[in-house]
Amino acid sequence: MKKHSKFQGTKINPSRFHPSQIRYLIILTPVVLFMLLPLLYIFNHAFKPLEELFYYPPRFIVERPTLANFTRLFQVTGTSGIPMSRYFFNSLIVTALVLVASVLISTMAGYALSKLNFKGKKMMNEVNTLSLMFVGIAVTIPRYLIVERLGLIDNFFVHVLPYLAVPVGLFLIKQFVDQIPNELIDASRVDGANEWQIYTKIILPLIKPAIATIVILSFQTVWNSADTSTTYINNDLLKTFAFYMNTLTANTNGVAGQGMAAAASLIMFLPNLIIFIVMQSKVMDTMAHSGIK
Amino acid sequence: MAKKPLKRAVRNNLVGWAFLSLWTIGFIAFMAYPLVLSLYYSLAKVTLSGEGILVDFVGFDNYRQIFSSAAGFSFLQSVRDFALEILFKVPVITVFAIIIAVLLNQKLKLRGLFRAIYFLPVIIASGPVINQLINQGAATIPLVEELGIIDLINNTFTEAIAVPLGNVFSELIVILWFSGVQILLFIAALQKIDRSTYEAAMIDGAGPWESFWKITMPALKSMVTVSIVFTIINLATFSENKAILHIKNNMFALETGFGFSSAVAWIYFLALAVILGIAMLAIKLFMKEKVRR
Repeated sequence: MKKHSKFQGTKINPSRFHPSQIRYLIILTPVVLFMLLPLLYIFNHAFKPLEELFYYPPRFIVERPTLANFTRLFQVTGTSGIPMSRYFFNSLIVTALVLVASVLISTMAGYALSKLNFKGKKMMNEVNTLSLMFVGIAVTIPRYLIVERLGLIDNFFVHVLPYLAVPVGLFLIKQFVDQIPNELIDASRVDGANEWQIYTKIILPLIKPAIATIVILSFQTVWNSADTSTTYINNDLLKTFAFYMNTLTANTNGVAGQGMAAAASLIMFLPNLIIFIVMQSKVMDTMAHSGIK
Repeated sequence: MAKKPLKRAVRNNLVGWAFLSLWTIGFIAFMAYPLVLSLYYSLAKVTLSGEGILVDFVGFDNYRQIFSSAAGFSFLQSVRDFALEILFKVPVITVFAIIIAVLLNQKLKLRGLFRAIYFLPVIIASGPVINQLINQGAATIPLVEELGIIDLINNTFTEAIAVPLGNVFSELIVILWFSGVQILLFIAALQKIDRSTYEAAMIDGAGPWESFWKITMPALKSMVTVSIVFTIINLATFSENKAILHIKNNMFALETGFGFSSAVAWIYFLALAVILGIAMLAIKLFMKEKVRR
């Protein structure tokens, strides 16, 4: 009987509570608290009055919440010539373009590198694995030269282009495509599907979790990046929200700047959280349900 | 008849490269070409001036400088520290991710919520928030320090081991925050295991421990490699990594400049390749020893 109850958890039982789950919950629940700490911190930090911001050791929970940080932040935004909405809109378009284009590009490449047979496939796989190891900052100056030579300085698309071929994205996508059994693809080929149909009808639906993960990860990179604005853009009208938030808080030195930075990072963080909440159900969408065994 | 296979091969090549083309163009423009340029710069003295970039070819001087100057030594030291850090952090992250993935694959009430919460740190660890948390010391567990574990480690081991080991303990929470994607990878692999396999094993008298090593681990085998590669890359390219800060700081420094900084980046690249190679070898040996179907 005892042995039997050990395996309750693996039975194909609808998820309702059973005492045998308690031992899993005992391990899982306390760690959950650690996982939620950063979230707690960001929210509390933004509402801390100035003196609480500098407590040492830092505290997670705000004692006397105040909106002062936000008021101060919005006062400063009122003084700049270009409205905040302009930057926000820029970031929105940039992020949307990067997400759509990079998902398309990396899933197509991932499918090719995993399931198609062609000359140079092995080499390209190795090239991608090698380039994983190269750190982005090291190519800042060469990249600048290329952007300059292509005449893309002060071009809006320069926010988008460098993020389209990211080795880590392709690496993760390919791992998920690898999991799809070849039999499935062969079967649909026998049924007369061509490569494009296999890509859209089989590969894409089956790697939804990977796509959702890539969306979350590249949203992070693009939304929070001020680099492209600093390096390639001189025209203030074309700069991004992340850049704007950085300059706002950087220009206000000292104690008040800290408070504004806390408020700004909460504002910057919220879209990340929203994307996460929207995408996470797809991330956890079980592959088992989609016919892969 | 003899002509057909040739045609098919040509067609396969065309289709393969068609799927890969967009990625390849982006990769060449924003990754491969900048990399080649940076390799060239690493062999030169690069001066940024108002008129543009002056490149003065100096051969291997920059590389020699890494192994003979103070700036070079402190970079090499940070690479050594990083290698030791990897040695402790990667196993911790991998084991933690496997345990959590196995638990989150059980039939549990609120399983979806648990999975989401464990994946949540992804949006923190890859964003700017994590830097803030670490800088403000919010990421350490005060408890660990209060219990005197750090002192104990310092007294028991030599400095070379005690320092990174101490770091692991004081950054335990950060380690947990860096395991989101890895947990996801393992869950995806676990979902491919047919649950009836476990039942069959149980009937044959296998306990949970045996089932874990004979059924679960073989299924996770390829994902262990993937997850370790991802972890090392993720930690190596993390923006607060000291070696990366070296590359960044030398880039515009008067004495060293971009040429030196490029050479540092290439040495770092080689070091990472070696670290990854060793990790792959270790995992291969471990799997051979422990995991047999």
